[in-house]
Amino acid sequence: MVGISLARIFKAALQNFWRNIWLSVATAAIMVITLLMISFLYFANIFGGQVLHSIQEKVDLSVTFKEDVQEQYIQAVANELETRQDVEKVTVITSDQALESFKSRHTDDPLIEESLGELENNPLPASIFILATEPRFYENIAKQLESDKYTPFIDSVNYEGSSTVIDRLIALIASVKNVGTVITIVFALLAVLIMFNTVRLAIYSFREEIDIMRLVGASRWFIQGPFIIESVIVSLFAVIISTAILYPVLNTIAPHLQRFFFDAQSSPFNIYDYAVTHWARVIGLQVGAAVGLAIISSMIAIRRYLRD
Amino acid sequence: MITFTKVSKSYTPNSAALDDVTLNIPTGDFVSVVGQSGAGKSTLLKILSAEERPTAGNVVIDGWDITRIKKWQVPHLRRQIGVVFQDFKLLPKRTVFENVAFAMEVGGAIPKEIKNTVPHILKLVNLVNKADEYPTKLSGGEKQRVAIARALAYKPQILLADEPTGNLDALHSWDIVQLLIKINKLGTTVLLATHNDDIVNALKKRVVTLNGGKVVSDQQGGTYKL
Repeated sequence: MVGISLARIFKAALQNFWRNIWLSVATAAIMVITLLMISFLYFANIFGGQVLHSIQEKVDLSVTFKEDVQEQYIQAVANELETRQDVEKVTVITSDQALESFKSRHTDDPLIEESLGELENNPLPASIFILATEPRFYENIAKQLESDKYTPFIDSVNYEGSSTVIDRLIALIASVKNVGTVITIVFALLAVLIMFNTVRLAIYSFREEIDIMRLVGASRWFIQGPFIIESVIVSLFAVIISTAILYPVLNTIAPHLQRFFFDAQSSPFNIYDYAVTHWARVIGLQVGAAVGLAIISSMIAIRRYLRD
Repeated sequence: MITFTKVSKSYTPNSAALDDVTLNIPTGDFVSVVGQSGAGKSTLLKILSAEERPTAGNVVIDGWDITRIKKWQVPHLRRQIGVVFQDFKLLPKRTVFENVAFAMEVGGAIPKEIKNTVPHILKLVNLVNKADEYPTKLSGGEKQRVAIARALAYKPQILLADEPTGNLDALHSWDIVQLLIKINKLGTTVLLATHNDDIVNALKKRVVTLNGGKVVSDQQGGTYKL
């Protein structure tokens, strides 16, 4: 009996959908825009995080030591820094290693090799590179290194330039998120409003049936179910369209974004690949948002226009 | 058995649609409820189908106090009570068969049950040959018979007929009343709200007269007197 009732409710929902086909299409269209906005916000978040992460990885705090500083001392400073909670990694580059690395980068340049040969001492200073767990911690780490304890041995502490870039990027991502959120909310409200009217009209066009259903003792679910299911059908329809738009668009823009933001990297982040591998999450997000909005709006319309 | 005990109903604070009504209607009875427009006939029937709640008093059907009936219980009650109206309330885009079947679908009847039951009901109301017609092609009397057939789809214990002959000529009206008598003889309690004096007088059944929401007379084999 439940199965048959369910089948009848679905049949009625499809009838509603077809009776107001253009309204259903308009509702689906606004829902598609809302879903695309939500997806855009989602991907902007993911992508922003990736860009930030890649820049953070490139940026570190570097400390250059004075020429005569002993290697043991440098190692001791490195060990001391490593005990800090906000430090992720400390890399020591001795002056020999710096020279080796310099030489290997200029093997094809006879002029440089020649001038290096003329020098008696290694001109390159020892340094350490510190990677903080988060960019905002660099300032505190630098403060420690600029204290009187270290100043006699340290030539320079360098981090400021990179921190500005990071701050700007964080601010940019935050404002993209804020604007995106506002636009998404506006479209979500529009979607609710239009969906609400669709359900209202469907209720109106079924008023005779509803009247008779009540008369002959139809259960509440039998009367209200078709309108809720109709809105869910419209929203799932919107998910299909928005997915069909989203993936080709991501595929088109992914290489450009990759080139622009991850130019020098060996394994750059590809937003389309991410969307493909995380398809369940992407579609789940859309279904969740669409069905959620649909149920909210149809429930409001039913409460307003389908009182017992 | 239907029992009204001191039932009152007010739509506005200053006027009473029903005023202290006490009635006992045994199972299988045929009661005509008469009175002028606004006397409270429709309100009496609406309280029985839980379309309206009494402001005071109790209404009990076969031991079931429906006075404070819960919302979710209303459909269950309505499947035990068939209702027929003056304006038929048929679905114009459905055939006679489908109109009757619709009531059964709503109640969750399986297609086989619908296929078997509907022709029987149509036979009872003498509309077997009109099963595939649309309501627009039917006369007023035929439309009312479809409405009665639909009301009978659940085999209700009680049939409420609110001015069922209001839109019909004398001949068709009598036709409908004959049908109500037939249904009553099959065991269904019938409450007929009407202001058609010819019908009430010809029926020679119990007559409850309402005036200003009060029962002013209740007589077995009564006549229409206002």
